[in-house]
Amino acid sequence: MDATQAHDHDKHSDSSHTPSFYWKVAAILAVITIVEVLITLLHIPHPILVPILLVLSVLKGAGVVMFFMHLRGDRPPYQLMFMMPFLLAVTFILLFLNLFSEHVGIAG
Amino acid sequence: MSAPTTTHGDESHAPAHVAPAHPSVGSLGVDSRKLGVWAFIGSETLFFAALIVIYLINVPVNMARADAQDPKELLGIAFTSILAAILLASSLTMVLALAASKRKDMRQFTIWHLATIGLGLCFLGGQVYEFTHLYEEGLTLSSSMLGTTFFVLTGFHGTHVAIGATWLFATWLKVRKYPDSPENLMDIELAGLYWHFVDLVWVAIFTLIYLI
Repeated sequence: MDATQAHDHDKHSDSSHTPSFYWKVAAILAVITIVEVLITLLHIPHPILVPILLVLSVLKGAGVVMFFMHLRGDRPPYQLMFMMPFLLAVTFILLFLNLFSEHVGIAG
Repeated sequence: MSAPTTTHGDESHAPAHVAPAHPSVGSLGVDSRKLGVWAFIGSETLFFAALIVIYLINVPVNMARADAQDPKELLGIAFTSILAAILLASSLTMVLALAASKRKDMRQFTIWHLATIGLGLCFLGGQVYEFTHLYEEGLTLSSSMLGTTFFVLTGFHGTHVAIGATWLFATWLKVRKYPDSPENLMDIELAGLYWHFVDLVWVAIFTLIYLI
């Protein structure tokens, strides 16, 4: 693939979104944020609250990455360059939390 | 200054086997500067993941110590919800600035781009206010494990916001001085990618540190 095709692809992947589309995405992200804050005030048990908040947070993050950063529909090398470290980071977070979440041995 | 990144004139008829016309577009057909920024963002993801996990695994350590400070008592969500809304709004204005620049609507671009910088500065001002308030409440960098891990994480994020606002301002100055430069679109897009990433990090911090 040459430079011309590359830029044609970039133009195509970006130009499909209009300003009104971005306003709608932002409105959805704002609603998710409001829901996140409201459900923390409902005194939901922690084991139920945490997964709900994590799912909402992932939805918000996915919205930003896919539509504002235009990673959805972008070239695979760009996607790979972000998704590989991201998945590695999530794996490390889960592993470390599993290993150390109840560990207080260094508390002194 | 790097090479132009948009296609013009007779370059559109170049055969596929000929070397790319733009030095910044490599053999994979991707812009090397954009690929570099994505790689940088990937490394920053790991950096912030490390800071977040350090905070989270130190929560029980903090609570077991004699100088324990309870994050539920100190970290309020009302004010940080406003900060989250400000950063989310700045992501919207950034993507609207990029869309305006693609339409070559310089007036709209200037409005949305400067609005993004303004919202970023509002966020920084809010963070300074929050830090000052927490210091008055007794939560400092050295008061407890909570203070150390919290201020390192949120302080680094605030530093990234400041760098992002500076990057956006420099981009605006460059685009303003050279409005016909073919590089402008990619310059704006790259600064925007970084800015959206800063918003993305706050999405994670807001949920993991303040809400849970």
